[in-house]
Amino acid sequence: MDHKPQVPIWDIPIRLFHWSVVLLLCISWFSADQGYMRIHLVSGLTLLALLLFRIAWGLVGSTTARFSDFLHPPRRVAAYLKSLAGGERILHAGHNPAGGLMVLALIAVLLAQVATGLFANDGVRFHGPLALLVSEDFSTRLTNIHGLIFDLILILVWCHVVAVGFYLLVKGDNLVWPMITGKKSRAQLPPELNIVFTRLYIAMLLLAVSAGVAAWIMIQGESIL
Amino acid sequence: MAGDSGISGRRSGHLSASVYFGCVGLVTLAGTGLAMLARPAFGHDMLQWIGLESVPQAQASSFYAIRVAPLFETRCAVCHGDKRQKSDLRLDSFASVLRGGKHGAVIIPSDTKNSELAIRIFLPASDDRAMPPDGKTPLTEDEKTVIKLWIAHGATGSLRDIPGAPKPVAEIVIPELDLAQVEKKRAPLVAEVARLQGRFPGVVAYEAQDSADLEINASLKGASFGDADLQALAPLAARVVGANLSGTGVSDASAPVLATMTRLKNLRLSGTKVSDTAIRALEGAKALRSVTVVDTKVTVGALAPLRARGVTVYGDGDGP
Repeated sequence: MDHKPQVPIWDIPIRLFHWSVVLLLCISWFSADQGYMRIHLVSGLTLLALLLFRIAWGLVGSTTARFSDFLHPPRRVAAYLKSLAGGERILHAGHNPAGGLMVLALIAVLLAQVATGLFANDGVRFHGPLALLVSEDFSTRLTNIHGLIFDLILILVWCHVVAVGFYLLVKGDNLVWPMITGKKSRAQLPPELNIVFTRLYIAMLLLAVSAGVAAWIMIQGESIL
Repeated sequence: MAGDSGISGRRSGHLSASVYFGCVGLVTLAGTGLAMLARPAFGHDMLQWIGLESVPQAQASSFYAIRVAPLFETRCAVCHGDKRQKSDLRLDSFASVLRGGKHGAVIIPSDTKNSELAIRIFLPASDDRAMPPDGKTPLTEDEKTVIKLWIAHGATGSLRDIPGAPKPVAEIVIPELDLAQVEKKRAPLVAEVARLQGRFPGVVAYEAQDSADLEINASLKGASFGDADLQALAPLAARVVGANLSGTGVSDASAPVLATMTRLKNLRLSGTKVSDTAIRALEGAKALRSVTVVDTKVTVGALAPLRARGVTVYGDGDGP
């Protein structure tokens, strides 16, 4: 742990989102593997609510949560990676350009996973809440895609962990601890810093709306039965 | 802005990048190895992919290919086939069957007691683990026995015959009726048939629902159905393949009409007044298979040519 002066970087919603996704991925994997499909359904819908929230938070949330803060043109990402390979240590308050790309990829893939899960079926006793809206054949195809995307998620998660390990063990930057405490030491940050934190009640409002959308989808699914 | 960056001097961590990524490579390999051990099916896939393991094949004439594979295909492949792979298990090829699913092998050769597949197909339908599950067509007892015997005899792809295996059930396929085609075939005679059916209710009928050939059954009319009536059916005579005139009033006077029934296969004349003349009129009925002449004046001599052609004759043929 770093005992140098600490500066708040990550807001509470971002940190809760991050670790909730980690937990929900584990629950979703375990429940699908063991056939606890009701738990899988709840886990998937919770993940959907969180992803919807994260997208909204990426537009109106705190500075380090915003897409505009961490999404960069490919040329800049390439330049960053090149400098990284060259041994330079470029400081970023939030996600670095490569990390931003990973965030985008993970959100997109998780969203695709949740979306295909809504229409999936196991061919026997369980089907996603919206599976009956499409033909059985199409639902089966989406189920297969749901399985393939999971493999992609595992690969992305592994890349993410490898990258975090790289920063920790090679670059000497601990990215995990700030994602828990929300703070980085001043030495890890660029000299000029201007982070604006969006108020928590806005996050709660957005989360409520996102949860409402997920619940509405669930109710729609129940009403089809 | 938070996105603003600063460049500091090179700061060393604990490892060099090459050492770190070397370790990552080793951990990735170790993780893949562990996954292969934990999920044997994945292990088989990987080994076959890199060419360290051959893909098992079953012979086309094997018991598996002829008796077992069709059962897996019809009863299991909906959930364990190319479209869907529940529990990462496919049962649509010999290699996949032996490969097993995400929980490991489902078949242990020569060990039905520990083969998951053999266990599950014998579970009662009320059991959540029973296969095929609720709503799917269950396996018959004979089908279960076929699978069990195959496993018990080593689950091979080469064994051709297994003693004691239930006989295969012959599959009868009934062709779909092409009504348009039938209508087309009957078109030339449909009006005449309708007219005569109106005149002789129950006497004239098509041989089958897909046929334009006719059968005549006047036996229920008794003696009231005579030579004149049979003569009235003459326009359709060439299409008649079966005629039951037993007990009717027809006599040798109907011989000319019988002679025009060249496609007759079966003819019943029992209890009529016909004699050898009528039988001789059947010379042109090359497809004739049987003639019934019980209680008629037909003689053995007249029947001899028919018998010589292989026609089965029912009746004493001992007329005067």
